[in-house]
Parts: sequence; structure tokens; C-alpha cells
Amino acid sequence: MDNNCDYKNGKLPECAPLAMAYVPMQDSVKPYYNSSQALSKGTLFPGLDLPFMNMINTGDLTGTPLGELMALDFVAHELVLYLDTHSDDSEAFDMLKSILQLAQTANEKYVKLYGPLNKADLLKSNSFTWLKNPWPWDYDAKSEG
Amino acid sequence: MFVYEKKLQYPVKIKNPNPALAKFIISQYGGPDGELGASLRYLSQRYTMPYPELKGLLTDIGTEELGHLEMVGTIVYQLTRNMTPEEIKKAGYEAYFVDHTAGVFPQFASGTPWTAATMQVKGDVITDLHENMAAEQKARSTYDNILRLSDDPDVNNVIKFLREREVVHYQRFGEGLRNTLEKLDSKNFYAVNPSFD
Repeated sequence: MDNNCDYKNGKLPECAPLAMAYVPMQDSVKPYYNSSQALSKGTLFPGLDLPFMNMINTGDLTGTPLGELMALDFVAHELVLYLDTHSDDSEAFDMLKSILQLAQTANEKYVKLYGPLNKADLLKSNSFTWLKNPWPWDYDAKSEG
Repeated sequence: MFVYEKKLQYPVKIKNPNPALAKFIISQYGGPDGELGASLRYLSQRYTMPYPELKGLLTDIGTEELGHLEMVGTIVYQLTRNMTPEEIKKAGYEAYFVDHTAGVFPQFASGTPWTAATMQVKGDVITDLHENMAAEQKARSTYDNILRLSDDPDVNNVIKFLREREVVHYQRFGEGLRNTLEKLDSKNFYAVNPSFD
């Protein structure tokens, strides 16, 4: 990381052509939140965490197998978007691979308990459990608490 | 092609139905700066993106926006469950109700149906990336406005998450533009359109 840039700042060209917009490049995947914080805040990266009127999500959503899986899938997605614009960053790629490994384990745990998340998961079912409730938009405060 | 994952990107669990909130949150479903327009904008623009890193970026952000469409639809659905006619009238929800009952329809807060006229696919890489950076800011402003109007924490936690995604996407589109400029002639970025010429 550049000595002059902390994690909230990124590099710009010293001299840039006129008539063009420049967003500073994020220099590094570091620092990053843990997966629970990342899901709550909506980003893996403290440098990009810019809330409105100090309205900050603080809750932990990872107390269930679904929440745990959501957090790992979210971190993997954040790393993929970062790698889309930083494809040579081997540190980010190694991190993505380790997160994908954890997400796969969390996925298997969820599917075993609650049923398939996609059609390929039906290989692990004895019947057509795809139709099993709840669907993602269903939430019953009375039964789930 | 696409494979459906039977889960949301972020949990939506709204305890108290409140059609008065649904009246304006519906705008992020099918409004001028909403998630339907966002996903179709990026997934349509990507065909003429000249470089693989932009094809990837638009595919990945466009796919995430489909997940956000599902989340906003879920908010509207959960806010408008089990309504009585009295509650509908008290919330001023009659106009929507008479047309759609408790269905989830892509429309502006003002009632105009979703229209592709709110988005653009210009087929020019610099123009399309600028369009996308502006689109992320417009969606961010809309989520700011929703946070000004809503006092339900179950709703606002989801809105805060979605708003933050706009900030991250803005950064990535900006970086995509930076990567693009490196491939172009810095003496005149507008000399040709690499999506066409």
C-alpha cells in the first residue's frame, strides 16, 4: 500500500487528461471485516463503508445455518467484484478460494437440514423437496420468532 | 443462463405489515432508479463491452441487482400481507390495491409502471460506464430518502444494506472506467468507440 494513502483513500494519476472522470483505485483487500460484520454492513471493506446519517447496522445475522451461509456467500461475492477490477491481486484470489471452501461446507450443512438451495442439491434428496416451504420471501413472525 | 438460489442475499423479516411504507418502497422495485432497471441496464449493456473485465463486472453486478429486486419485492410483499379494507384505506393504499390487490407490481412510487425509458444502453463503453455510475448514485439517493421516511427497523436494516451496495458498485464501475482508460489513447479518449470501431 502507498505510504501516502490509508485504506479510506486510493491512487489517482498525478496528471490526468481533461474531460474524464476519475475514481481512485482501491489499493488492497486489506483491511476487511469478518463475514458477520460484512453482511450486516453491506460491504466487506471498511474503506467503502459510508453510511447515511450515521445509520449503522450492528446486529449479527449469522446465528443460523442460513445466516452463516449468507455471510460467506456475500464475502465471496464482494471478493469477486473486487477481482473483476483487480484481476492480478493474488492475495484477494487466495482469500476468495478459502471463503468458497467455507461457503461450500456451510451450504452442505444448510441443505442437509432444510433442503435444496438449487436443483443440483436434489442429488442429496430422497424426494422432490424443491417445493418445500418456506420460500425466500416467506416470513412468519409467529412461527419463527 | 441463470441458476436460481432459493435464498435471499440478505434476510428480510418484517414483523409488522405497513402498506404506507410499501407505497414508496415499491419505487426501488420498478421505479426510475430501482433494481429492475439496474439489473436490465447492466445485463443488457454487457454484450457490447469490449474487455473481459467489463463483461465480468456487468454480469456480476447485474446478477446481484436481480437479487436486490427479489429483496425489495420481499419487503413490499411482507409489508402488505393480511391487510384489512380499513387498514388499506387508513394507509391511503386504495389506488394500488384496486389495481393489484396485494400483488407486487413494478411501478414508480408515483404509480407509473416500470419503463425502459428510465435506463440507457448506449453501446459506447465510456458512456455506459458513466450511466452506471450515475445510476448507482440515483439509487443511493433513493435509499437515503426511504431512510428519511421509514421508522421501521426491520425495513431500515435491509434498506441500509441495499444502500451500501450502491456505494460499492459505484467504486467498482469507477475502477472499471479506470481500467478501460488504460487501454485507450490518453491523448484523446474519445478518438474511437472501442465497443464499435
